Amino acid sequence: MTAKSDKTDLLQGTLDLLILKIVALGPVHGYGISQRIQQISSEVLQVQQGSLYPALHRLEKRGWLKADWGESDNGRQAKFYKLSALGRRQFAAEEASWLRLSQAVSLILQTGRS
Amino acid sequence: MRAFWKRNNADDLDREMQFHLDSVIAANIAAGMSPAQARRRALIDFGGREQVTQQLREVHAHAWLERLLFHLRSALRFVRHSPSLAFAIVATLALGIGANSAVFSAVDAILLRPLPFPHGDQLVRIRQHDEKFQTPESFVSTQRLEDLNHLNSTFQSITGYYTGDATLTDAGTPEKASIAFVAPRFLQTWDIHPSLGRDFTPQEQVFRGPSAVLVTNRFWRTHMDADPQAAGRLIHVGRSANVVVGILPAGFLFPDPEVDLFEPNPVDAPYTQDRKSTCFAVIGRLKAGVSTQQAQADLARVETDLARQYPATDASFSSQVQPLKSVVTGGVQGSLWLLYGAVTVLLLIACTNIAALLMARTTEREHEISIRFALGASRSAIVVQLLTEVLVLACLGSTLGLLLASAAGKFLAWLAKDLPRLAEVGLDTHLVAYTAVCNLAVTLLCGLAPAMLGTRRTLAGSLASAGRSQVSSRGSAQWALVGVQISLAVALLIASGLLLRTFRNLSRVDPGFQSAHVLTFHISGTWAETDDMGLLGRRIDQTLDGLRSLPGVQAAATSGSIPGNSTAFPSELKVLGAPKSSVDRVTADLHYVSAGYFATMNIPVLLGEACRAGLPYSTAVVNHSFADLYLGGVSALGVHLKPPADFMDAAQVCGIVGDAREQGIDQPAQPTVYWCFSAPNPDPYYLLRVSGDPTSMAEAVRRKVHQLEPTRSVFGVLPLDAHLSDRAAETTLLTTLLTAFAATAVALVSIGLYGTVSYLGRRRRREIGLRLAMGAQPRGIVSGFVLQGLRATALGAVVGLCFGAAVSRSLHSRLYGVSQLDAATYASVLLFTFTLAGLAALLPAIRASRVNPVDILRQE
Repeated sequence: MTAKSDKTDLLQGTLDLLILKIVALGPVHGYGISQRIQQISSEVLQVQQGSLYPALHRLEKRGWLKADWGESDNGRQAKFYKLSALGRRQFAAEEASWLRLSQAVSLILQTGRS
Repeated sequence: MRAFWKRNNADDLDREMQFHLDSVIAANIAAGMSPAQARRRALIDFGGREQVTQQLREVHAHAWLERLLFHLRSALRFVRHSPSLAFAIVATLALGIGANSAVFSAVDAILLRPLPFPHGDQLVRIRQHDEKFQTPESFVSTQRLEDLNHLNSTFQSITGYYTGDATLTDAGTPEKASIAFVAPRFLQTWDIHPSLGRDFTPQEQVFRGPSAVLVTNRFWRTHMDADPQAAGRLIHVGRSANVVVGILPAGFLFPDPEVDLFEPNPVDAPYTQDRKSTCFAVIGRLKAGVSTQQAQADLARVETDLARQYPATDASFSSQVQPLKSVVTGGVQGSLWLLYGAVTVLLLIACTNIAALLMARTTEREHEISIRFALGASRSAIVVQLLTEVLVLACLGSTLGLLLASAAGKFLAWLAKDLPRLAEVGLDTHLVAYTAVCNLAVTLLCGLAPAMLGTRRTLAGSLASAGRSQVSSRGSAQWALVGVQISLAVALLIASGLLLRTFRNLSRVDPGFQSAHVLTFHISGTWAETDDMGLLGRRIDQTLDGLRSLPGVQAAATSGSIPGNSTAFPSELKVLGAPKSSVDRVTADLHYVSAGYFATMNIPVLLGEACRAGLPYSTAVVNHSFADLYLGGVSALGVHLKPPADFMDAAQVCGIVGDAREQGIDQPAQPTVYWCFSAPNPDPYYLLRVSGDPTSMAEAVRRKVHQLEPTRSVFGVLPLDAHLSDRAAETTLLTTLLTAFAATAVALVSIGLYGTVSYLGRRRRREIGLRLAMGAQPRGIVSGFVLQGLRATALGAVVGLCFGAAVSRSLHSRLYGVSQLDAATYASVLLFTFTLAGLAALLPAIRASRVNPVDILRQE
């Protein structure tokens, strides 16, 4: 296992955005989501199961995700999540606002450097 | 179902977690760990499976609870931030809902619920009318009743009863009891069973069969010490001993709550064979699904058959079938609905007041609402939040209101002890359910408009402008609410104004007799003792003489009816030896009075002389109207009048007396003939004019009667005034309550108008300050507000006048000496309303105009 300092804790609220992004790529189960976040972020971001599942269920309850039981790669029953129409709109809005925010933050940081 | 869903959901959670864990274990094994190690590693990474499941459960289970808690917290914040506003709302609603629920509980128990008998809606009263007589209802003979029961095809059974007085002789002093003689099938028709003992056996219902009585629950408690072994005991009624065979259930108060004993009326007795001896009031139970119209048509068919069979006695009958419930509650139906309407109007006014208050507050919270919008809350979410705040306050209000209403039940019982079915009024599920519905309706009425308006404004507006520098907001919604309130209050004021005028008119009427200082009572007596009218008359005259000898008694008399509280009994008379008779049919109200009646009642003798005792021939006295209408005034003396009944002789008119309102203070005097006859029945009303307080004589009267006639009892001892106020009790109650409601409505409306003007004044402070700084006169600002108030008042008043006119149409039958469109009443209501509205607007308007322009400019 890699050292703790290499990893970044998720900013409050960003987990929802990450989940929406992963799920937007195609139906996926909870384990798959945690794996992909880890892989895509090159092992920087690690999601604790204790926050992943409550977040998934909250999003499902809000109507942004839809869930169905289906067969996983190893032939077992797993709960697959996919984006609802509402979730798709929400994802677009959140993605835009995240990009604006992060651009703004980096701009300020760069200004400080010069 | 719900439990199943929960379990299923929990299973799903478990399976999902298990899958994740297994996948991690599999990945660990693939990375080269041993299975045991892989498993341990996975569990550590997972970080407490139970904890995660618990968190998930909370996501699902507490979502709605969380929302509720959020709204509750926000409602509590409301209370904390404006405690006086919250208190005002809760108190207003408690009173409004309390009064409404209280009147509803009476409406529900008395008018809506079926009578407390199995299938109570099948019970009907059958009124028979014989065209040969003028009376509205003719009683039915035993044989005819049996025929009606056998020949009809729409009734399960038909039965009847008549009541009489009897003397109980078990105790030391004789005591009066009320006894109902019942036709066969009596309990069967009501479909009730004795709570102790049994019904009459067929043997007990035949002539000279074993004597048997049923007693009411009240009699059983007061006279038999609620003895559980009471069935089979003997009681002595008059001279006969009777076996108590059963005790009726506690709720059975029919046909008359006064009745103590029930005794069978044998069908085969010699005295029940004559079809002319009519006595029964008739009760029937319809077959299931039969309407009163069908039953009435069926009875008409039976009557035609009977008329053919017994042309002499049964030829001219007709029947009217009425649901028993409407007979029992008939009189108060109008009053109760009217009160319910009034109290609902009051609640509506209270609601509009609260809506105006909330609207003001919502506008003040514009900023807060804007922020919530900006944070992404939907409009419906904000509306729901605002409504929840109101709901919490309304719940508090209606809980208090419910307590008030259940207490009001007792108050009502004290206020209106003569209401039918009052014992059935009380706190029950109906009342609670009604209050709950009321609560929701009130929440929507009070909260919806402010919430919708408050959130609409914010949609258009923006964060930045909130609370700053607007000149707008004329408050048209607020003024509309004021108009609605005024219209409702004006309608209530008109109704109570008309009733108050009626009340005043009645108190000014000269009834033609003097009711003060007169004591009334009965002395027990029955036809069973003697049917010799001469003997009866002599007994009563002797008793009267004895009573006259009591110190303090100025005059004494008997009468067949209570002056000022008798039912009209118009009869057709023949005038013999009249000089000229311009009218074909002579009909008059007949009264039987003893010598001394006119002195006792202070009715002046205009001509001739009053009734005298001991004359060998019959005499009569006529009133002024009768003499004027039928006998040409002066020449009336000496004329003979022949009454309708065969057994009575013609009587010579010996005097003319002043008109007296015998049928009620509110009924003009009718042409009346007073038959000089002290004993029209064995227990006429005794009337004593005494020098002091009539009630203080009661004991002396009892002692005297006991001394004169030790086997008789004195009962129904009441001042005459009490009879008269009993008669007016319902109108008095209605007037009192409606006036109270109208006063409350006026107070609420004044507060509402005052609040609206002060709110708008506060809100437009900046604008007023600027205008003053620009040189506007404070007077102009004051008059601007007052004129706006008066305009809303005028619009409301016009609508209110229409409401009022509609309401007074339903009051029509209760009004006396005032028309339902009485201009004076309407005008004074308008004057009152405008004066009050002007004042209510003026005071806050003056305060609003006292803004210091410098302060405002500094804030800008």
